Amino acid sequence: MPLPSHVAPTVIKHPIEPEAEPAVQLCGVSLTYETTAGARLEAVRPTTLKIRAGEFVALVGPSGCGKTSLMRVIAGLQPPSSGEAFVFGQTPKQAQRYKRLGLVFQEPALLAWRSVEDNIRLGLELNPRENHSRNNVEQLIEMVGLLGFQRYRPAELSGGMQQRVALARALAIDPPLLLLDEPFAALDEMTREHMRYELLRLWGVSHNPQDPPRSAVFVTHSVAEAVAIADRVLVMSVRPGRIIADVPIATTRPRRPEHEHSDRFINDCAIVRAALRSPTTPAVPLDAA
Amino acid sequence: MVSDPIRTVDQLDVPLAPTRARAALPLPNLRPLLAWIMPPLIALLLLAIGVEIWARATDVSIWVMPRPTAVIEAFVSDFGLYFQEGLLTTGVSLAGLAVGTATATIIAAGVAHSQLLERAVLPIAIMVKVTPVVALIPLFIIWLGHSVEPKIAIAALITYFPVLVNAIAGFRDVDPRMHDFFRSVDASTWEIFRHLRLPAAVPFLFASLKISVTLSLIGAVVAEFFLSGQGGLGALIWIEQNNLRLERVFAAVLMLTLIGVTLSTAVVAAERVFSWRLDQPVAAS
Repeated sequence: MPLPSHVAPTVIKHPIEPEAEPAVQLCGVSLTYETTAGARLEAVRPTTLKIRAGEFVALVGPSGCGKTSLMRVIAGLQPPSSGEAFVFGQTPKQAQRYKRLGLVFQEPALLAWRSVEDNIRLGLELNPRENHSRNNVEQLIEMVGLLGFQRYRPAELSGGMQQRVALARALAIDPPLLLLDEPFAALDEMTREHMRYELLRLWGVSHNPQDPPRSAVFVTHSVAEAVAIADRVLVMSVRPGRIIADVPIATTRPRRPEHEHSDRFINDCAIVRAALRSPTTPAVPLDAA
Repeated sequence: MVSDPIRTVDQLDVPLAPTRARAALPLPNLRPLLAWIMPPLIALLLLAIGVEIWARATDVSIWVMPRPTAVIEAFVSDFGLYFQEGLLTTGVSLAGLAVGTATATIIAAGVAHSQLLERAVLPIAIMVKVTPVVALIPLFIIWLGHSVEPKIAIAALITYFPVLVNAIAGFRDVDPRMHDFFRSVDASTWEIFRHLRLPAAVPFLFASLKISVTLSLIGAVVAEFFLSGQGGLGALIWIEQNNLRLERVFAAVLMLTLIGVTLSTAVVAAERVFSWRLDQPVAAS
């Protein structure tokens, strides 16, 4: 059960056992916007959802179905119109305070005036916390393949490299939950296919081997991408968005590019696509490979 | 834990641009510099020669139009005076610029954070902007005395508006995703200002400084007209005009031109050193 919001965690890092607390819990979260004309626009229907600690969940759905909005609710960047969200049993605001969220967006969103290294350190510098767990930045730079580029400015890097910086920045604070909003959508196909395995490799990076496994929520347009990396693919309908299918992906880890040629992979993709095309949703063109 | 850096991907992800040397600015190559400076200098020289020939040919009175040679003679022979008065004017101008820029930046920081403050302050700021502030010089003299203070006040008042408008725009020109990242680690308002809004505004501040630096010189000179006992090139121009020594008026104006060029160049140079962006936004004024 989620802790009431006024109960502060006793230990800053991972106070809750992964078995006891889900990484993300949404209880009837809905989003309704008021348009300038005064009309009410229902973006997300009441959604109830549980993501276990250590689980990698992909969220797919047509454009405008509220995937990003749902993620912003989990990140505490947007209050839900109704319902409640919990991250490891805490409110998203508490999760922000204890730096338990690692955000990566479609755009790298790096500070143009900072070097690669200083961009990666940003999350550590802000809201400094004494006992806060942190990954070794030098090690991270090496792991994301940016060794030798520490002093470069973001504008001097390619799109793929910039997105690696954004990924390293999110991982620097060693967050137990990664929130990725179409992180590879702006990349070319070749880089993109490579990056999903890079992400899986980096996903588990933690300075502390005793840490519970990291969870991730990954928003994407691409069915193949979702099936390739996730343990579970949640399919959302067109607006007003709701989760219409929950597809488990049984392929063992570590995942490899070769898996994308297996029958199981093709079958899983077919299931997700069928869910997307189900009667509740009109046939939506997907940019899935 | 650490694996090898991925070489294969380095080949995919080649950097787009070579690193710019930032700390050490290379000495400017003189050849392109001359190519920039020579054409206007030659044009100016030709203009001066033209005026000289015209003045001699028509024998126009020196009370109306001094000969360029007389201006240069006055400038060179009394260079010490023009330099000294020029320093005074420059000092007033820079002091006004500093006060105006600092005030505007502080107000802009408040306005960028508060809609209420924006609604309260911005209309007043625009009222000051549309009022010709030199009209306030007589008042400032009464309030601040016959000294340097009213001059600095006018220079500050004339400079602050472009800085205010640009600083507000700069503090708000923040990528929403970056802002989201700051919020996601519970960064304080001060941290967001210090590490996101302020650096984002630097190119905007320099764009407005380019406008303000010449405006502050205008303010200083006009104020000096009113306070002709207090020195400065404006006062010198006023006195020499009364003496009908027009070549000395022109020599003082020449000094003002040199000051204007120097100050503007200094702002551009400072921008190269301190500003992170090379494609500067267009300043609003």
